[in-house]
Amino acid sequence: MAAPVYPAWVGRWISGQWRQRKRPPAVRPTRPLVLANKVANRRELAGEATCLTEMSVMMACWKQNDFNDKSCAEEIRAFYDCVAKAEKERKEKKDEYALSLKGNIPSSKVNRLLRRLSLKTFYGGSTDFSTFS
Amino acid sequence: MAAPTAAGLCPRLRAWLPRLTQVRWSRYNPSFLEPEVNKELYQKPFNELSEEEKEKQELKAVHPIKAAPPSISSSVFSDPMISKFTNMMMKDGNKVLARSLMAQTLENIKRKQLEKYHRAPDDEKERVECNPYVIFHQALKNCQPIIGLSNITRGGKTYQVPVPLKDNRKRFLAMKWLITECRENKHRRTLMPEKLSEELIQAFNNEGPIIKKKHVLHKMAEANRAYAHFRWW
Repeated sequence: MAAPVYPAWVGRWISGQWRQRKRPPAVRPTRPLVLANKVANRRELAGEATCLTEMSVMMACWKQNDFNDKSCAEEIRAFYDCVAKAEKERKEKKDEYALSLKGNIPSSKVNRLLRRLSLKTFYGGSTDFSTFS
Repeated sequence: MAAPTAAGLCPRLRAWLPRLTQVRWSRYNPSFLEPEVNKELYQKPFNELSEEEKEKQELKAVHPIKAAPPSISSSVFSDPMISKFTNMMMKDGNKVLARSLMAQTLENIKRKQLEKYHRAPDDEKERVECNPYVIFHQALKNCQPIIGLSNITRGGKTYQVPVPLKDNRKRFLAMKWLITECRENKHRRTLMPEKLSEELIQAFNNEGPIIKKKHVLHKMAEANRAYAHFRWW
């Protein structure tokens, strides 16, 4: 006998899609399925101390010269230069749209931008008056 | 981002949240620019200005400018450091008294230095510094600490970690130490200008209790240099 040919509905019945559709949904949403104005907090890597070598060189010079600032002027100047450079880099990193080292935006900055630029509230319009634009 | 403002809260709640809400902020729109008090900039003809200055002038034509505060002036005799020091000396808003004390201090410095000048032998006369403003600035510079200590808590224990200080903080500490030293550790009946002039001249010569205090701070920072790794900035 040739392969049995069943009507199309039998095929759909056997595939079980009726059973799947008739079951209640596996997940019932507890909150409305709407995107919130924030992203989950991701743990950022803590930074390291800057200018440690300059600081230790300066302290060694101090120990030798009995904490006299005039004789350690070179080391002190080097330390100040390093500190100024580190401060500048920190300011650039702190800028609102700056990316982190890996090239992604940290979650805190994303949250700030979303709070300012996203316009959704219950009655419409954004509520963040603390940031000036 | 600024701290949340207290605009919408009732006064009782506002008094309860002093740390979390802004107490002092400016009501100016952010488009307002700072005023330019330097007279020489306006006396220069337009062609001599550099590119940046030309751009700034053009920007000023379109933006409103904030009112200049009464504390800054365009006179040759005004000095921002001396104004700051006078403000720190002021008590209960008595600016008149603070300013007169400052003037008397500078006069005292001048008198003492002139006495030294006239007493010195001829070859040493050039080395005596008579300008009280120069002495004031140099003394403040000598009193500024180079490195400070900050409290950082790790594993329940608080450590004193050596930390580089900002310029503002250094200047503030120098002035604060000067004033507290004069107020507290001197004889009750000496007048403030006398005490201050003495301290300033000593600091100018890199001696005296304030320089010692600075050295003590440096020594503590040097002793705690092992904890410098606890910093994360």
